[in-house]
Amino acid sequence: MYPAQGDVFKSRSNDAVKKTSFNHTLMPPCQAACPLHMEIREYVDLIAQGRVMEALQVIRNSNPFPSICAYICSHPCEEVCQRGQVDKPIAIRALKRFAVEFGGDRMIQPKAETTHEEKVAIVGSGPAGLSAACYLRKLGYPVTIFEAYSELGGMLRVGIPQYRLPREVLDTEVRRLIQMGVEIRTNTRVVSLDLLFDMGYKAVFITVGANQSRRLGIEGEDKPGVVDAITFLREVNLGLRPSIGERVAVVGGGNVAIDAARTALRLNAKEINLVCLESRQEMPAFESDIQAAVDEGIILNCSWGPRVIVGDDRVTGIEFIRCTSVFDAEGRFNPSFDESVKISFTAETVIIGIGQIPQIPEDFHLRIGKGSTIRVDPITLTTNREGVFAGGDAVTGPATVVQALATGRQAAFRIDEYLQHRYPLVGRDERETLTGNLLPKTIEMIRKLNRFEPPVLSPQERAEEFEPVELVYDWENAINEARRCLRCGMGAEILFQDKCATCLTCLRICPYHVPYLDDSGTVRIPVEQCQACGICVAECPAKAIVLRKPQDRRHIDEELNHVLKSATQSNFKPLIIGFCCQYGLYGTGTLASLWREAKAGIWIVPVLCVAKIETEHILRAFEMGAEGVFIAGCGQEQCAREDTAFWALQRMEKARKILRQIGFESQRLQAFNLHANDEDLARALDEFSEQIGELYLASAIGQEVKT
Amino acid sequence: MIVAEQKPLDEIRRTIAPYEKILILGCGTCMTVCNAGGEKEVSVLHSALKVAQTRGRNEAHSFLEYTVKRQCEFEFLDMLVDKVKEVDAILSLGCGVGVQVLAERFSDTPTLPGVNTSFMGASKEWGVWDERCAACGECRLAETAGICPITRCAKGILNGPCAGSKNGKCEVNKDTDCAWILIYERLERLGQLEKMRRYYPPRNFCPIPRPRRLVSKVDINLGGNDG
Repeated sequence: MYPAQGDVFKSRSNDAVKKTSFNHTLMPPCQAACPLHMEIREYVDLIAQGRVMEALQVIRNSNPFPSICAYICSHPCEEVCQRGQVDKPIAIRALKRFAVEFGGDRMIQPKAETTHEEKVAIVGSGPAGLSAACYLRKLGYPVTIFEAYSELGGMLRVGIPQYRLPREVLDTEVRRLIQMGVEIRTNTRVVSLDLLFDMGYKAVFITVGANQSRRLGIEGEDKPGVVDAITFLREVNLGLRPSIGERVAVVGGGNVAIDAARTALRLNAKEINLVCLESRQEMPAFESDIQAAVDEGIILNCSWGPRVIVGDDRVTGIEFIRCTSVFDAEGRFNPSFDESVKISFTAETVIIGIGQIPQIPEDFHLRIGKGSTIRVDPITLTTNREGVFAGGDAVTGPATVVQALATGRQAAFRIDEYLQHRYPLVGRDERETLTGNLLPKTIEMIRKLNRFEPPVLSPQERAEEFEPVELVYDWENAINEARRCLRCGMGAEILFQDKCATCLTCLRICPYHVPYLDDSGTVRIPVEQCQACGICVAECPAKAIVLRKPQDRRHIDEELNHVLKSATQSNFKPLIIGFCCQYGLYGTGTLASLWREAKAGIWIVPVLCVAKIETEHILRAFEMGAEGVFIAGCGQEQCAREDTAFWALQRMEKARKILRQIGFESQRLQAFNLHANDEDLARALDEFSEQIGELYLASAIGQEVKT
Repeated sequence: MIVAEQKPLDEIRRTIAPYEKILILGCGTCMTVCNAGGEKEVSVLHSALKVAQTRGRNEAHSFLEYTVKRQCEFEFLDMLVDKVKEVDAILSLGCGVGVQVLAERFSDTPTLPGVNTSFMGASKEWGVWDERCAACGECRLAETAGICPITRCAKGILNGPCAGSKNGKCEVNKDTDCAWILIYERLERLGQLEKMRRYYPPRNFCPIPRPRRLVSKVDINLGGNDG
């Protein structure tokens, strides 16, 4: 057996092993942009490897309700994705949906134990409240949620249409909270916080949301047939079918207005005009939602300001004047109009969705700030009253679900600190974030790969019902999409500058031309440019370069040792060891089944790209008693990185040269393409194992004869 | 930089055969750069020797591996004292200088060369090295436009090109540039073609008294009296 490196003595590299256990990865932009700081790069990579259950585990570590985010997250991560500089960002949200659906999220049953006696009350059951409840339970507090309506979920239930978030998903998450022991008080409107403290609650988290629609302040706004978007959506979402006319005008350009328009469409409105102040580019709604609305037949009318709602008893139409600009020179909301340009729409129903504000009962005695929101300390979430914390839309004004979830989690930790009389430890674990864009020369070298979008229902199918519009990826597309990730911030670094001989190998062989010589003659590998392909790590003659993620450094050695252990137990001859790209293992029936079921005598060492296999690894496999070794990579066409196949073959050839000198036949070391069709691969593999069998037999007989 | 090539595995195995415990010692400077004996090559050789052992019989070596910054300095070798005590022989992947300094420093331990020291050269591209200097001790590069005819001309002639130059290539190897054509072209570029017209007397071919020694420190002369 191969002794673990340096078990006989301590080599120079081994003195540094302690250092290498540190994680030197930088927080990628996606994670930094996520309000929950989810480990996106890690779970996307796990999906790319086909390890979906582990991906879900990573997701669940930092997201209380992944299934909800999987449907409706506004994905700020995708906005900053470095891949966006090359072609299009990774479809992170859709990948999360895939992990949730295929990773067995439904089976997960969280448990929580009560370890503290201080009771916490949560007022409002929107995403912030649910998230706080979840984390407070995990921290061991008895939690009660007070909800004014009959069902939990806040905006998730009454604001977001079912075609975006199926109710079963929300119900499942709520059920889990109940399982975790959260006490639920629905149909209970909290009127006084004092009362809550009298009931024995030691801390209160106010998360009542922003439910009050803003008013236009124009003539005719109170006529029958005019409805505010929030009320309209709430009625539809609670199962009522409010009667609307055939022609509907929706005022507003935000997400709520879009949701209202698309909901009206599903209530059989024939002609829906969405009219907003902003120009098409300025519309605050998410671009994908606007596009979906247009696809479904909603007519956009941009740059119009409402002037008057007309009609005698009921609404018959609405008039607009041209809006020439929405913001003034200082960027403040200050629209200006051209009265001479007018347009009017005939409509039996007018829906107004121009924003919401919170409505905080005066009896709460909370200090109210700008936009009727509760004033809090942004770090501790404390209000002017002791033991009262606040968060969510009630504090920020209308925001996203993921922001609310993050606030809820933050509130849980701050409440814990408050109840345990600890000083708030904020940002203690913050890691360095990757900054800086890709250089044009790096972008040029990165392979452009199409973004795989998940399938969607056709607009015709959508208009008829409230079924979810977006469907889930299949395995192949999910994995291909995940493989586009550039793995920002986890690339190579020269960990041992003292060992670096400045041989310039890395600089010469990097497919992306990332390493450079600085003015003092030192080689630098800028982390924001490195694509983490691992080629320089395997080639560095001084072993001075490592991958920033400790797992990446140890991976092959650990897998190899693991295989050795299992193989020794089975004692089946001849032993064949195959290094297979884990990213390519999916879709290759032959190897994937070998890996899972282990054909007698063939052992698979999964590697994260064959470019990371070193000559030494191959030799070690032989040293461990392998009679044959093969390398199965994805082939250059399928690999998302450059030059990987070339370097894998270089190292294989080098190993062959050494093996020949020892007297091993060259056929004992072969390379296969994982993306050859299954039959070819199966045949090649059969031939290979047959060949090895013969060689083994011949050498065994030869030895017998000699002795 | 000094360029070397690892010896064939067979030869290495033969030289280490008499010894049981062996220290494979890499060198962190030139031998690392030319891929002959850096820390990585030490590990690869270590693995290769162990694979060979699984095949052969009657071989029961045990190996230690280590890489020092430069084998040609005594100070770097001092840190090896404890390791050398444990072994029967040192297999050095340093250049010929390194092997000898090792042998001098550890006079009781056999020191075996693992590489063939080849020449002084430069890297053409990744993995390719070309000889550039023969260390003749009489540099003529000022007259030959920075291109050394002694190293780069197959004959080492000082008044070239010879009749074996064809289309800028050497008759000895048609992939090799004729050094004298290169010199001509570069002199032309520099506007110094008149240097081609001069006759260069033969080099001093007397055997160089070896070993050579170079002293860069000076003798202190307090009075400053010449002679």
